[in-house]
Amino acid sequence: MRTGDYKQSYGELVALIDSPPVWLWSAVLLLALIAAPHLLNSYALSFLMIILITVTGALGLNILTGYTGLISLGHVGFLVTGAYAYAVLVSKYHMPPLVGFLGAGVVPALASLIVGAPSLRLKGLYLAITTLAFSFIINTVILEMRWLTNGARGIQVQRPEILSISFDGDAAFTYLCLGIAGLTLFATLNIRRSRVGRAFVAIRDNDTAARVMGINLHAYKLFAFVTSAFITGIAGALYGIYLSFVSVEGFPFLLSIEALAILIVGGLGSALGAVLGTVLIVLLPEATRLVFSLFSAQMDATFTTGAQELKSMLYGLVIILFLRFQPRGLVGAWHDIKRTWVHWPLRY
Amino acid sequence: MQYLVQLLISGLAIGAIYGLIAMGFAVIYKSTGLVNFAQGEMTMITAYIAWTISTTVSGNVFVVAMGAILAAVLLGLVIERLVMRPMLGEPVFATVMVTIGLAVILRSAINFIWDAYPHGLDIGMGRGIVHLGSIGVRTGQLAVIAALLLLLAAIWAFFRYSKVGVAMRAVAADDRTALLMGISATKVHALAWAASSVIAGIGGVFFALSYDLSPAMFQLGLKAFPATILGGLDAVLGSGLGGLLIGITENLAGGYLGSGMKEVAGFAMIIVVLMVRPFGIFGERDIERV
Repeated sequence: MRTGDYKQSYGELVALIDSPPVWLWSAVLLLALIAAPHLLNSYALSFLMIILITVTGALGLNILTGYTGLISLGHVGFLVTGAYAYAVLVSKYHMPPLVGFLGAGVVPALASLIVGAPSLRLKGLYLAITTLAFSFIINTVILEMRWLTNGARGIQVQRPEILSISFDGDAAFTYLCLGIAGLTLFATLNIRRSRVGRAFVAIRDNDTAARVMGINLHAYKLFAFVTSAFITGIAGALYGIYLSFVSVEGFPFLLSIEALAILIVGGLGSALGAVLGTVLIVLLPEATRLVFSLFSAQMDATFTTGAQELKSMLYGLVIILFLRFQPRGLVGAWHDIKRTWVHWPLRY
Repeated sequence: MQYLVQLLISGLAIGAIYGLIAMGFAVIYKSTGLVNFAQGEMTMITAYIAWTISTTVSGNVFVVAMGAILAAVLLGLVIERLVMRPMLGEPVFATVMVTIGLAVILRSAINFIWDAYPHGLDIGMGRGIVHLGSIGVRTGQLAVIAALLLLLAAIWAFFRYSKVGVAMRAVAADDRTALLMGISATKVHALAWAASSVIAGIGGVFFALSYDLSPAMFQLGLKAFPATILGGLDAVLGSGLGGLLIGITENLAGGYLGSGMKEVAGFAMIIVVLMVRPFGIFGERDIERV
């Protein structure tokens, strides 16, 4: 009798969904997400919105860092570029929101060409450094281009109306975020399955071998940069709409680190990991707050006064603990559990 | 002309602080092959501890200096032992991400322990103004330039002549061979973290002396970063000089091109340097290129 997961053809290996239970659970999850905006109160709904927006951004970074293995510390730069592109096009020049979203993808993609083309000669830490520099430079550029971006004053952004459907209400806007996050998930899963995605992973695993196999490193790295920036920019536009106000302060440098934390906690290089990591990192502060408030009112008071600090300390701690004890992230843990479940009581 | 000289001198002063912190980066990179993204935060903690000593224990210069140095050594050793040593043998990406996590923890810990308001570090000196011709300079600014030059000389001698310094260079060059020769790599790592913490901490204390302590001080780490890249990540002395260069560039850009340029001049410079000479001006050429 065969046990465990067997793949017998390449078709099975790259299938998007490989077993009926996964179909079932995906469908259940999708239905739950569709029903959620009508069932949740507005406080819980705001978490759902944040999760969906963050998932989009994390999936964008995952293409670059997870698939291709290029570390970017400057993704907040693409996020803020996307948000400003949308805000300028829609709020300032009164373009339709769809054009705004397109711009929110294209402008960061162009910016990524400018930063990516020269810095892709560098690897690892050095690339991290140039992207970090980029995120600071872009902030200054935005602050200096007052005629376009209002400088430090920022730009007000309205909830959009697309194809005469208004996304003004929280529930409606959640559906918009859900749609975009779903599309992004579908797209990145498919990129991973395709020839391009396999080239990305080959570059990550061993770039010399990849080059010997005929993969044009420069072109593919640049492509990863552009795709990643495009998706991140759209996430930025969504985040700007969510905040209803786009300014440089709304996109602190910490977001770049938060995004990397999400990927690490979830499991680097996996779309599922990006989703799981987002859920954990977004809900972590809230979960801690609940636990604290259970213990005592006094601890609760400490948490409210120093909430921001404790929250970021927790981020740091979670990153370190995961890297130390579960470097493959939540996805790795999930695989371990699944294997134990299938093989029990045997160990292999 | 006077404006230019003024800009140059204050650029040298801030550059010396960047240089000290950049040397902190380089010491750790040279012996462990890591970029420590928590360098700015470590700098800041030492400065805050110095301030706490000066307000609660004694404002005496020597007490504050000794206290700050001891605290910095302890901080470096504790971080190395608790956070970095368990990561030995892990991929560089993971280890560098750990220092980023550490940076986040330290930064929020500082905000949690101390308050968010700026404080002046007052130990009875450093704020006085000396007139060089018609230009007024703070004594603290002159002192930090002198401190950087002294440390550069001391570190050069340390790596050149002392047994420990040679051991550190050996571990950096090839840790396996060094281990075979009977050098304890973990001891060298611990020493590197402690030394880096102290050198960067001196920079932090001088910054607090000439300017002010505030929770935004961690940005010194980000500012010193270009200096390390410019001088070469593995070049300790080069990083110190890189700091001076970045300080001057920033101040000139700020003085003649506008304050926005001041913030990014350093970063713009490293992007250019990384394109042309990825290993820095004084670094060794071993960066792989595609």
